[in-house]
Amino acid sequence: VTVQRRKSPRALEREAQFKQYKADVAKRGKPFYPWAMFHDTVMSLVVVCVIIALACVWYFTSGEDPEDAGLLGVRYAEPADPGTTTFVPRPDWYFYFLFYLLRIFKWPESVILGTVGIPTILIILLYALPFLDLRRERRILRRPVAVTALLLTAVSMGVLTYKGATAEEATAAGGETIDRVLADNDLPESSRQGLELYFANCSSCHTYGGEGSSNFGAPDLTDIGAQEGTNADFFKRYVSDPSQFGNTVMPKFGALGEENLQAIADFLVASKGGG
Amino acid sequence: MPVPVRTKSRRRQQLEQAALYPLDWVEERTRLEDRSGLVGGVKYFLFRKVPGDISWAHTLGSASLTAFLVQAITGVILAMYYRPDPNSAYESIQHITNDVTLGWLVRGMHRWGASVFIILMFFHMARVFLFGAYKYPRELNWIVGATILLLGMFEGFTGYLLPWDQTAYWATIVGVNLQGTGPFVGPFLVNVLNGGADIGVETLSRFYAIHMLLLPGAIFALIGLHLWLVVRIGVSSQPWSPEAAGSGEPEGPKPARTGLVRTGRGGGAQ
Repeated sequence: VTVQRRKSPRALEREAQFKQYKADVAKRGKPFYPWAMFHDTVMSLVVVCVIIALACVWYFTSGEDPEDAGLLGVRYAEPADPGTTTFVPRPDWYFYFLFYLLRIFKWPESVILGTVGIPTILIILLYALPFLDLRRERRILRRPVAVTALLLTAVSMGVLTYKGATAEEATAAGGETIDRVLADNDLPESSRQGLELYFANCSSCHTYGGEGSSNFGAPDLTDIGAQEGTNADFFKRYVSDPSQFGNTVMPKFGALGEENLQAIADFLVASKGGG
Repeated sequence: MPVPVRTKSRRRQQLEQAALYPLDWVEERTRLEDRSGLVGGVKYFLFRKVPGDISWAHTLGSASLTAFLVQAITGVILAMYYRPDPNSAYESIQHITNDVTLGWLVRGMHRWGASVFIILMFFHMARVFLFGAYKYPRELNWIVGATILLLGMFEGFTGYLLPWDQTAYWATIVGVNLQGTGPFVGPFLVNVLNGGADIGVETLSRFYAIHMLLLPGAIFALIGLHLWLVVRIGVSSQPWSPEAAGSGEPEGPKPARTGLVRTGRGGGAQ
């Protein structure tokens, strides 16, 4: 027994239109080969040529040394070294928009919005699109909402990607900067080693007294030592394995070794917000 | 007096039969009941009708396919020289780039081809969106395409670690850690990706397997489904075209146009 479901007017309309489309294409269409295939072949050749050209520019303007960057960057960075960290947490360009988004959200309150919330919403919208837009209209100028949404998405992705690409990277600080930061924040001379370690390992994500860059929701450290419940032992354990404290974003720095961890902990304890 | 009918000579008929024999052989063995088999299918693919007004904008899909094939071919060559082990991965990358004949070209094409592939998929998606080609009856193909895009980005993420340099290592640590913030599944996901609590030997071989076996296999299968749906449903026409197939326009003198948009009833062109 088959149950006949009554079709909605919209369903009947679109079925009729599709039938008409099939009939029109059969009557007035052109064969895929050679007509459309010619265009596809030309375009494919252009794509392959562009890829080869990019590879050539990348290779011939760079050198064997990891420092020797060409127009399109280095051939490879220094070998991975879990111990020391010239920490460059930079993703491939198509993740820049997410990378930059995480400068806006802060650990621990809202960072989950950037890591999970917004990407999930974007993916749901992407999959739901054909079910949200049920109008039959396809002409561009008669779909102002769709076109505006496309433009807004393209512009915001473009801006975030550009901002991510040009985001300042914290660079190793010279002696002068170290002296100035020590003075500005009323830090004792014993904090010097910890501050140097901060610039080498932490400043890519944490700011301190206006130095460094803020990434992945990492908080400012200028007055971290003034916060309740913090002491040298706490900082040591936190820095060596943040996941023990529920922080799964920050990498583990246990590989820095006991002496360095102690120096960082002492420096953080001395950080009371200063001047 | 009867006009002599020109027929093919016996010899020529035999020759043609002999030449077509392999095709017929394949067709006979791939045919299902009264449906055409492999040869009939290829013939149908090549000579099927497409709307007469499609343009260069419609080549973005096949351009993405070409970029993916470049990735597949260069990837196989790279896999012959790459060693997915933290102690030798970096060295093997240096070896491929600096010593192997044309190794720099293969690695360069794989590296930059990845970006071209992603860009072309975004352009292709924008074109489909702008032309309203995700609407009935092509909703399922939009979903398949969106999945290919996401898997392609995941390919980029897993491939980024393989050179095992500082950029790769630290970006992947942060990337994996960010997934750990997800509720419920987050920590589980981190464990699956890392093959343990931290990034190490297990992680590299795991990323390598995902990057060169799991994801490309899934993408190949989804591209097959994507193309099958395109052929089955038909290529969408340009929404503004006076020839827009299926708009229900009567043939004959064309009504007046206002700007880019054609006036007239409907607008539900397929």
